[in-house]
Amino acid sequence: MTGAATDPAALPRHRHLLDFAAWSAADVVALLGRADVMAQVLTRTIKKVPALQGFTIATLFFEDSTRTRLSFERAARAQSADVIGFAAGSSSLKKGESLRDTLRTVDQLQVDLYVVRHPAGGAPYQLARWTDAAIVNAGDGRRAHPTQALLDAYTMLKRFGASGGGKGAEGTGRRGAEGADPERPFAGKRLTIVGDIDHSRVARSNIELFTKLGGEVTLCGPATLVPAEFGEVPGVRVVARLEEAVEGAHAVMGLRLQQERMSAGLLPSLSEYVARYQLTEKVMRLACEGAILMHPGPLIRDVEIDSALADGPRSVIEEQVANGVPVRMAVLYTLLVGKG
Amino acid sequence: MSDHQAEDPTGSEPTSKRQSPSRSRTSARRGASGPRTVLRRARLASADGLSEPTDVYVRGGLVEGFDLGGAVDLELDAREQLVTPAFIDLHAHLRDPGQEVKEDLASGLAAAAAGGFGTVVSMANTTPPVDDPGLVTDLVRRAELIGQARLRPAATVSVGMRGERLTDFAALKAAGAVMLTDDGIPIADAHLMRRACEYAAELGLVIQTHSEEPRLRADGVMNEGRVSRELGLPGNTASAEAVMVFRDTEIARLTGARVHIAHVSCERAMRVAEWQRANGAPITIEVTPQHLTLTDESLRAFDPVFKVAPPLRTAADVAHLKEALRRGAVDNIGTDHAPHTLAEKERDLLEAPFGIANLEVTFALLYTRLVLTGELPLAALLRLLQGGPASVMGWQAPTLTPGAAADLTVIDLESELPVQGRSFKSKAKHNPWEGERLRGWPRLTLVRGNVCYDREAGDR
Repeated sequence: MTGAATDPAALPRHRHLLDFAAWSAADVVALLGRADVMAQVLTRTIKKVPALQGFTIATLFFEDSTRTRLSFERAARAQSADVIGFAAGSSSLKKGESLRDTLRTVDQLQVDLYVVRHPAGGAPYQLARWTDAAIVNAGDGRRAHPTQALLDAYTMLKRFGASGGGKGAEGTGRRGAEGADPERPFAGKRLTIVGDIDHSRVARSNIELFTKLGGEVTLCGPATLVPAEFGEVPGVRVVARLEEAVEGAHAVMGLRLQQERMSAGLLPSLSEYVARYQLTEKVMRLACEGAILMHPGPLIRDVEIDSALADGPRSVIEEQVANGVPVRMAVLYTLLVGKG
Repeated sequence: MSDHQAEDPTGSEPTSKRQSPSRSRTSARRGASGPRTVLRRARLASADGLSEPTDVYVRGGLVEGFDLGGAVDLELDAREQLVTPAFIDLHAHLRDPGQEVKEDLASGLAAAAAGGFGTVVSMANTTPPVDDPGLVTDLVRRAELIGQARLRPAATVSVGMRGERLTDFAALKAAGAVMLTDDGIPIADAHLMRRACEYAAELGLVIQTHSEEPRLRADGVMNEGRVSRELGLPGNTASAEAVMVFRDTEIARLTGARVHIAHVSCERAMRVAEWQRANGAPITIEVTPQHLTLTDESLRAFDPVFKVAPPLRTAADVAHLKEALRRGAVDNIGTDHAPHTLAEKERDLLEAPFGIANLEVTFALLYTRLVLTGELPLAALLRLLQGGPASVMGWQAPTLTPGAAADLTVIDLESELPVQGRSFKSKAKHNPWEGERLRGWPRLTLVRGNVCYDREAGDR
């Protein structure tokens, strides 16, 4: 979309994407700019470039996931990388084998980059200590899901139109970004996340990234799912009432509510949750004009979000999924080629 | 075995005593004229610091006297280093029987000697658990043959550690068990805990508790708090420990049983335990080296070597535990040496087992971190490893007076050396302090007058 995005010197050089601790705001903004270029590729008749030809990417999924894995595979193949996949459900990756032994085996296949999903927080860090390949965290326990946060940020930049100052991340800028800090594209923006924050890697990564890019985050949900310690993070506040949390928000994100939270005694009942925390058009009217509705999926209709709202004009849920591909293309390219 | 040693449980070995009734006081005295060893230039700890260099004579497994002169069979040089009674650890997982891939009696007792320990109470959460007198007898007999640090086995409180039915306390005691504990698994059933305490009180047995309320602790793999929230790892709240310490100390008060609270890790639990003791609960308090030197911030490395139960707490908790040490509120340092295989510790943080292997690093770690920093006098640290644990068990405090058991260790307080797991006698080489430069390394350990560890010569 812009020349800046293709200038290699402007791109971050990282071997891993485990979370955003090792990524500066400028790195992320440049990466989102590159995603814009990738999005263009996907509008062509032939949706494929040879950028990653000769690289081997392995999806190493210790936890079931179809959507994320498909998105990564699409992102890899659109750049002509070879993709091999391992799933924990198959007999090879059983509980009991050490993480390191599993990696030892797979590492013999000359993999350049692993896309890792694991039920335990920190597992991608452990793997990163033991391999020379790059690692992309595709979700570790409750801890982090950085590519989801990146695609959410990308989606918000597009919709907010205030990203113009970024290094290439112009988005669909409705107004110029004169004087705006290019490394704080979410300055003055508020993201409200509703639901099971404590068990959510999506929430943690969004908190980390949205505040890194200058925005403020409001968390809302029952106290059993939203521990007060989250409010100690700079730029983050915890609000009990849904109406108060949504008021003035530029984006509102629902989270998946897992049935097992009820059996674990964290919630009295689904109906009580729906009555107090379901996102509806009515509550969304308290948000900023044009505020968008997001959800990382999978969505349980009429629980986390009222169906009419989920299918209505505010909803960017399908855009999020679509944006996942160019964003992950940019991640893979940056780690494999951008590392020099 | 002499009667003297029988009075001092660090020296008594019940099975052999039973099996050798013919050994009288007289013959034991005659035994004391056996091989004679001198430890030259020893500096003994006293109230005023270290003594002038002294030659310590050992004969027949007992301290014979000082600067006696005369012919010896073995001459050792203490090089004007600290010579002190070998330490007592009331809390070590030696994994034998059944988990020998992690540790066994030979490696565990050698590790103990290398750490300056002359006596170890082995935990009973083995495979099978030590819930049967035959298992106790077997452990005692095998440890004697190994001839390293002395083994004083613990047995379980409940059959199979299932928390349902009491084991045969009297028979276990007769076989040589010195302590009852289901350590590793908290006793969830308060009623069972009460009956265990009543029964143990009558027999004069110490019950050691792993005090964590299981439902409140839940699936936590690290301390619950700001760090666990940030890392998204399941937390284990300090309140789970405080609640259970209250219950266990209250049951101790109710029954009059001697309850030893293992590995108190946090300020809340320490406050509860101290309050209960001040109000008449007959309890004793243990703290581990890891809870005095590490915090939950360590988990940011995402390395299961830091996964331990109770979990590493906050810096404020560590400060409170140190303050409790200084006030003399803690009875003993127990290592909670808990070896696992490297492969087990290379699993993920949810699956990897709890435990830190530390027998060989404990003294140097605490000497460097607490004594050299001026936070704790050397005499206080020694008390927590000698007279303190002995008192918990109702044993005589170990001394180096003539006639006492010749269990002693020589400690090099000067040389600063890095922690090197690969040189551990323990099968578990990985540890949280790898590479840290420490002073206060045990150099020579004698148990029953025999050299069990010599840092320079290796095994004997």
